[in-house]
Amino acid sequence: MGKISKPKLKSKIDFIIRVAGEGGEGVMSCGELFAKAVARTSYHVFTFITYPTEMKGGYAMTQIRIRDITIYSMGSFVDCMVVFNQEAYDKSISSLKEGGILIYDPEFTKIDESGNFVKYPIPFSQISVDTIGRALGKNVVVLGILSHIYGLAHPGLEKLINDRYGSKGKKVVEGNIKALKAGADAAKTIGVTTIMDLSKSEPANEEYMFISGNQAVALGAIAAGCRFSAGYPLTPSTSIFETLSKFLPLVGGRTIQMEDEIAAISAVIGASFGGEKVITPTSGPGLQLMAEQMSLASMLELPIVIVDVQRGGPSTGLPTKTEQGDMKFAVYGSAGESPRIILAPTGVEDTFYQTIRAFNLAEKYQMPVILLTDQSIGYRKATVKMPDFNKIFMVDQFDRKTKVKIPNAEHIDLVQRQIPTEDELKNYKRYKNTKTGISPIARPGTPGGQYLATGLEHDEYGKTNQGPENHLMMSKKRFRKLEQVSLAFERNPMETYGDPHVQIGIMGWGSTEGAIREARYLAEAAGVKVRHIHPHTISPLPEQQISKFLHRLKHLILVEENLTGQFAHFIKAKFGVKPIEVHKCEGMPFTPDEIFNAIMKVARIADEDNITNI
Amino acid sequence: MKIISQTFKTYKSAKIKPVWCPGCGDYGVLSALDKTFKTLEFKPEDIAIVSGIGCSGRFSHYFNSYSLHGTHGRALPTATGLKTVRPDLNVITIGGDGDGLSIGGGHIAHAARKNVDLTYIILDNNVYGMTKGQSSPTTPLDYKTKTAPYGVYEESLNPIAMFLAYNIGYIARTTSTDSKGMLSILTEAIQHKGFSMVYIMSPCVTYSVLPYAKLKEIVKPLPEEHDTSDKLSAFKYAYSDEHMYTGVFYKEEKTSLDERLKEVFNIAKISKTTSEIMAEFK
Repeated sequence: MGKISKPKLKSKIDFIIRVAGEGGEGVMSCGELFAKAVARTSYHVFTFITYPTEMKGGYAMTQIRIRDITIYSMGSFVDCMVVFNQEAYDKSISSLKEGGILIYDPEFTKIDESGNFVKYPIPFSQISVDTIGRALGKNVVVLGILSHIYGLAHPGLEKLINDRYGSKGKKVVEGNIKALKAGADAAKTIGVTTIMDLSKSEPANEEYMFISGNQAVALGAIAAGCRFSAGYPLTPSTSIFETLSKFLPLVGGRTIQMEDEIAAISAVIGASFGGEKVITPTSGPGLQLMAEQMSLASMLELPIVIVDVQRGGPSTGLPTKTEQGDMKFAVYGSAGESPRIILAPTGVEDTFYQTIRAFNLAEKYQMPVILLTDQSIGYRKATVKMPDFNKIFMVDQFDRKTKVKIPNAEHIDLVQRQIPTEDELKNYKRYKNTKTGISPIARPGTPGGQYLATGLEHDEYGKTNQGPENHLMMSKKRFRKLEQVSLAFERNPMETYGDPHVQIGIMGWGSTEGAIREARYLAEAAGVKVRHIHPHTISPLPEQQISKFLHRLKHLILVEENLTGQFAHFIKAKFGVKPIEVHKCEGMPFTPDEIFNAIMKVARIADEDNITNI
Repeated sequence: MKIISQTFKTYKSAKIKPVWCPGCGDYGVLSALDKTFKTLEFKPEDIAIVSGIGCSGRFSHYFNSYSLHGTHGRALPTATGLKTVRPDLNVITIGGDGDGLSIGGGHIAHAARKNVDLTYIILDNNVYGMTKGQSSPTTPLDYKTKTAPYGVYEESLNPIAMFLAYNIGYIARTTSTDSKGMLSILTEAIQHKGFSMVYIMSPCVTYSVLPYAKLKEIVKPLPEEHDTSDKLSAFKYAYSDEHMYTGVFYKEEKTSLDERLKEVFNIAKISKTTSEIMAEFK
C-alpha cells in the first residue's frame, strides 16, 4: 500500500473555546477577532460557527480551537466557555469539559452551581454600559476577558478592532478599545487565571492565510485562472460569490449577479463557450434548479465548475446548518445520462486545492465538475499555508499527454483547455470521436473553428443526428472521458490512512475527514487500530483503491451526516459490502468523540466475534 | 496563414439546411439576417448565435458562425454570460414567443437592466409550432388550440409594451415578409450599443393563428411623426387596438454592461496578482 501518513500525535497545546449567545449579540465578531489574533501567532487555529437563519435572536455560537499542530476538527469538548444568556448556557453546558472554565453574566444566566467547573460570574453587560454607555459592547468586553485568560497582547487586538470597526468612525473604535480594556481589567480584578501567554508565542515562521472554506473556494478559483463567475445569493454559499465579486475584477475578471440560479449557470455556460474558466457557487436548492443546464454542459462538453455548499434539507430546510444530503442528487440528478465529476473536499486547505483540481478536471475532460462542500467547511475558518506561487505550471493548450498532478502547496499544474491545431481546423470536428473521448474546443473568434454546440444529439461536427448508431457512439464518447478520469484517479496518491492490516475500517467523505482522523487517533491511544479511507472523488469512485481497502476487512464503519446513508447506498451497490452505518442528521457536524464511540462499539463486537471464532 | 480580405457570399451553413415547413416566415428572417451580416461586413468567426428551443430556436444551426443551441428559455442568460467575457464578439440571441415570453420571459427584464450589448430577435408565430399547435403567450383569447380546445382562457401578452416598461434601449417590430424593413432594423439594432430587441411577426403556416393575409391587414408602419425618443408615444402605438404598428418604437443610447463593468474595474483601480490577493488574507 502507498504512503501511510505518520502524523505528529503529541500536542502540548490544545484549547477549545466557545462563545455562545444570541444572534446579533456580536458572538461571531468576538470569536472572529479572537481567532484572528491567535492566527497571527505560530499556533494553528480552527473555528466553527453556527447561527440561526433569522437576522436577530436564536442560539448562535462560535467555537475556536487553538493547537500547536495541524487541527483536523472542531474538537469534542470545550475548555473555556463564555455564555451570554440562559439559552446559550442551557444549550452549551453539556459540551464543557469537567473542570473547564465557565464565564457567564450573572444578570442574565442562572447556572447549576453543582457543576464541576471553574465558574467566573462577570457582569459583562453592565461593564459595557458603565464603560461606553451601551450594552452593545459586551462582546468586546468578553474579548478583553479572553485576552486576559490567553495572554493576548492588546496592541494587536486594537489593530484588529480598528480594521473591523474603522469604517464606523473613530468614536466606535475608541469605545471598543475601552471595552476591551475594561474586560481585561475586570478579569484581572476578579482573579481569573491566566492559562497561557500567547503574546510570548513566536510569530508564525511560515506564511499562512486565515480563511474560511468559502473563501478557499474563491481564492482557489482565482489561483486556477478562473476569470468569470455568475451567481445568485444562496445561504450558506453566498460568501463565495461575494469574495469573487470583490477580487475577480482586480485580476481582470468579471462577475455578474443573475436573476436566479438557472440564469447563473446559463451565464457560466455561455462564458465557458466563450473560452473562459468559469464557476458558479450555490447550495442544494440552487443545484436542483441548475440540473437541466448541468446536463446541457455535459452534452455541449463545456467545462464548468459548480460549488454546492450543502445545507440541511430538504426544501428550505436548515439554511445555516450543515448536512451531507446532496450527494445522490449531485451524482444522479440528471434526465438522461450525462457525465459529470463530483469532488468532495475535506477541510479548508483541501477546499483550496480541490477547487484548483476541479478546474483542471473540468477543462481537461470538458464536463461539469461539482465541488461538494458543506456549511461546516464553508463557515469554518482555518490557518492555511500560503502556496508557493513560483511552483505554478501551465499545461500547454496543445499538450494532450501531460499527466496532471493533484495540486498541493508545493506543486500546482494549471490545465488550459485543448484547442484544435491548424491541421484540425481544416476539417474541424468539434466532437471528434477520439480514443480518450476528449476533442479540442475552438475558441470563438478563431477562423475556421466555427461550430454548432447543440443540446440535441449531434455528430462529430456538431450537426444534429438522432440516428441509433450515432447516439450510441456519442454517448460512449462522452462517457469514455469519465473512464479516463477514473483511470487518472487510480494513479493518484492513496487516500488511505492507518494500519492497512487491521480488521476494522472506517470510511467517510467530505467534511467528516477531520473528525474521523481524530477519532482514529483517539482509538489508537485506547488500543484499537483502524484503517481509514476517504475518497475525494465521489464520482467516479477510485474503485481499485476502495476494493483494495475492503479486502480482508471484517468490519466497515461508514460515517456520514444525513439520515438515510446516501454514500452507503452507493458503496453497498458498487462493492456489495454491508457496512455498519453511523449517521448524524442534526444540522451539526460530527465531533471526534462521537465517531470514537462508534469505533469502540464496533471494536467490542469484533472482540466478541474473535471469541466465538475460537 | 495567409489572411485574405474577403466579402462572404453567404453566412449560411453549407452543411445544415433548415427544417422549417415550406412557407414558414422564418426563411425570410434567415435571409434578412444573412444580408445584415453581409452589410455589416462581419467575419463569420466573430459572430456568436445563441438560441433556445422551438422552430426559431433552430436558427443557430443554419449559420456558419459560433453557435450555441441551448435549453428552452435560457438563451438570453447564456448569451449574457458569453457577451460579458467576450465583448469583442457580435452576439445575437434568437428564439420564439414560447421560448422568449413564456419559459424564458423572466430573463428579459434582467437582460434589459444589465443593458448587455446584444441583439435579441424574437420571432412570434403566436403558437407552439414545433410541438404541434399548443397555446403560446401571444395566442389570442378564445382561439382554439390543442391545449385550449374550448378556446384560450388567458389574455395574450403585449410584448412591445412590456419591453418599453423594461426600459430596453432599442425596441422595434417588423414582419418576416418585409425584407427591407428587417434589413434596416436588424442592421440598426445590431449596431445599437446595449440591449436591443427586434420583434418579428413570423406567421406559422401549419398552425395558422395569424395568417399572412390577416397580418397584412392589421400591420401598419409607425407614422413618421412618431418620435423614437418619446416613450409615451411609443406606449400609445404599442397599445393600439386597431393596428399592429411596425418600425422602431423606441431608441435610447445608454451605458452598456461592458462599459459599466469596465467602470467597476476603474473604481477598483489597482490590478493585483493572485499572490497579492492571497496576501490580504494573512
